[in-house]
Amino acid sequence: MKTTTRWLAATAALLSMTALASAAETANIWVRADGSNFMPQIVEAFNKGHENQIKLDIIPNGELVQKYATSAAGGTAPDGLSLDLIYTPAFAAAGQLEDITDWAKSLPYFKDLSPAHVKTGTYKDKIYGLPFSADSSVLIWNKKLFKQAGLDPEKGPANFAEIAADAEKVAALGGDIKGFYFSGACGGCNIFTFTPLIWASGGDILSEDGSKATLDTPQMRDAIALYRGMVEKGLVPEGAKTDSGANFFAAFAAGNIGIAPSGAFAIGALNTQYKDIDYGVTFLPGKDGGSSSFAGGDNFVVTKGTPKLAVLKEFLDYAYSLEGQTLLASRGSLPVRGDLAKEALKDLDPRYQIAAEAMAKGRTPYSVVFNDIINSANGPWAQMINEVFFGDDVDGAIANAQETMQGIIDAGTGQ
Amino acid sequence: MSSITAKAGAMSSQPVRRRAKVDRSHWVGLLYIAPAILLVTVFFVIPLGMTAWMSLHNWPLMGQHRFIGLDNYVAITKDVRFWNALKFTLYYTVIVTIAIFAVAFPLALFVEKPRPMASVYRTAFFMPVVVGFASASLLWAWLLNVDSGLFSPAAQQLGLTEKKFNLIATFNPAFWSIIVMVVWKVAGFTMVILMTGLQSIPTELQEAAKIDGANAWQRFRAITLPLMRRTVALALILSVAGSILAFDQFYILLRGGPRNSTITAVYWIFNQSFVSFKLGYGAALSMVLLVILVVLSLIQLRLLRNPEGT
Repeated sequence: MKTTTRWLAATAALLSMTALASAAETANIWVRADGSNFMPQIVEAFNKGHENQIKLDIIPNGELVQKYATSAAGGTAPDGLSLDLIYTPAFAAAGQLEDITDWAKSLPYFKDLSPAHVKTGTYKDKIYGLPFSADSSVLIWNKKLFKQAGLDPEKGPANFAEIAADAEKVAALGGDIKGFYFSGACGGCNIFTFTPLIWASGGDILSEDGSKATLDTPQMRDAIALYRGMVEKGLVPEGAKTDSGANFFAAFAAGNIGIAPSGAFAIGALNTQYKDIDYGVTFLPGKDGGSSSFAGGDNFVVTKGTPKLAVLKEFLDYAYSLEGQTLLASRGSLPVRGDLAKEALKDLDPRYQIAAEAMAKGRTPYSVVFNDIINSANGPWAQMINEVFFGDDVDGAIANAQETMQGIIDAGTGQ
Repeated sequence: MSSITAKAGAMSSQPVRRRAKVDRSHWVGLLYIAPAILLVTVFFVIPLGMTAWMSLHNWPLMGQHRFIGLDNYVAITKDVRFWNALKFTLYYTVIVTIAIFAVAFPLALFVEKPRPMASVYRTAFFMPVVVGFASASLLWAWLLNVDSGLFSPAAQQLGLTEKKFNLIATFNPAFWSIIVMVVWKVAGFTMVILMTGLQSIPTELQEAAKIDGANAWQRFRAITLPLMRRTVALALILSVAGSILAFDQFYILLRGGPRNSTITAVYWIFNQSFVSFKLGYGAALSMVLLVILVVLSLIQLRLLRNPEGT
């Protein structure tokens, strides 16, 4: 009898375990290739410690939007998505995303989440995206070249005049050494690193709600004059003119560029892959000082009607924990919880603190047609920057871009 | 009476038998071409129908679509950038087609005759055709890179230029770089088509002309060129159609630059569909391009039709 009872108990236990195991669910999420440094690690860590599981797919950067759209049309969209934050309004406007306002506002640390992310995650007063990964824009300089040029290697430039003067001194070293680098044919790179110069000087390129293009401002012209002056003096490599972003980071990493605007991602990449480069990190300054930064990274969004919302919430809860934020930070993403940022970064390179501080003050332009007006290689922003940095007609280029950009904004996403 | 009936029966039964025979062969024939019909239906007719249907809608890449009739086509008439792209595409087509023929014809004449190493030359000239357009464009993107590529640093090393030169920074060098790349990539294919045409010309004709005292140029003009009409027509139509649909090389190498001066029609369709997320409008543009391509092909066929019908 005893044996039978034992057998029955064991069978019941086994059955209940099987029931538990079958109750566990798997949610599918996507991330763009830029997130391949941190996403597989955090998914792996989550899967190890939880019944519910996440299945991750990494999608090439340039294909994510198209692939998601076609999958959504075919009913095979993933349950969730780590999405470049600037796309959140467009996805929300298209009715593809789940409204997560109540859940977001119920999070005890909601007010500490990256404000720029939350702003782009909000569409018509409802929240469709929450911050997941973060990357701020900063200015980096090569300490070795600064030293060789007779500059203080520990002091980065703090205003436009200092950028130009330092770049000139470094370029004077001659040979292949140049003072400054930027990708002159890349709209995305320059919204990330050039607009902070305008913001820090008190200007903007779009109105707060994204309904008006505001390109023609004195602050824009000052920032253009800074870049244009450096190009005219030969402080910028010839290849910058046609660089569509492929060399955005690699040029500085090659070791012959004095100063380059870049992202916080550069800290991790330089520390692990280019250990011989001694570099400093500072804020992107305004004309007469001050600072600003582009708040980039990803929002986490949920596909409308997914049955796996509970699993996704569990996953996001983990990503927001100190353990999750520390893990993300160690893999190159800045923490998105302001209240945990210091602690999550405490064991890492101190230069991350500058990037985190820049992030806290960071801004992100808000637009449902961001791809069209800014990221497109043939859009008004990309065309304008190339013309004003290297061409002959600054006034015409600004006026043309202002008109084209406003036309696209007015037309909205419709046809 | 009975004989008449019998005759009539015999007369009427004959056509019935023939019809049955015809019907059977008709079905057998259909069976033979059924796979081709299926492929054309699935991969051409249905997508074409869907594109035409799509072009009548406001069809965003994401979200709901709605029927708008011919509005997309009306919008095309006001789309200055599409017409500019089309103008540029036609300009590119003319230049690149002439360039391809200018290179491929001499090559075909060179490798057509049996000569030592002829097959090696043929293989060498044909090899770039095997490389995909995207791969070839990436290779050339590297060759043309002003800092890390081959052309600019090599020219500097050889003392041909003092300063680095960025071949893709202004329109003319960028455009001609593309032409050179495409000719390198495609001429081998045209060469093979022209070579088979040359080889199909009966040698007796050439021999007879030789005996009559015609020199090489006279034989080329009076025999080779006229008998190559159909082959040239095929090569021309393929080259023109390929050039009108040019996309990869411009997208990968120049991204429409410098300053939007090298946007082709297909590039603009891609841009509208997948950057501006307007699939319906992109479909309408595709239909317009299709019509233009069909008209151009018909004109070429008519111009190059053999007057003797041989």
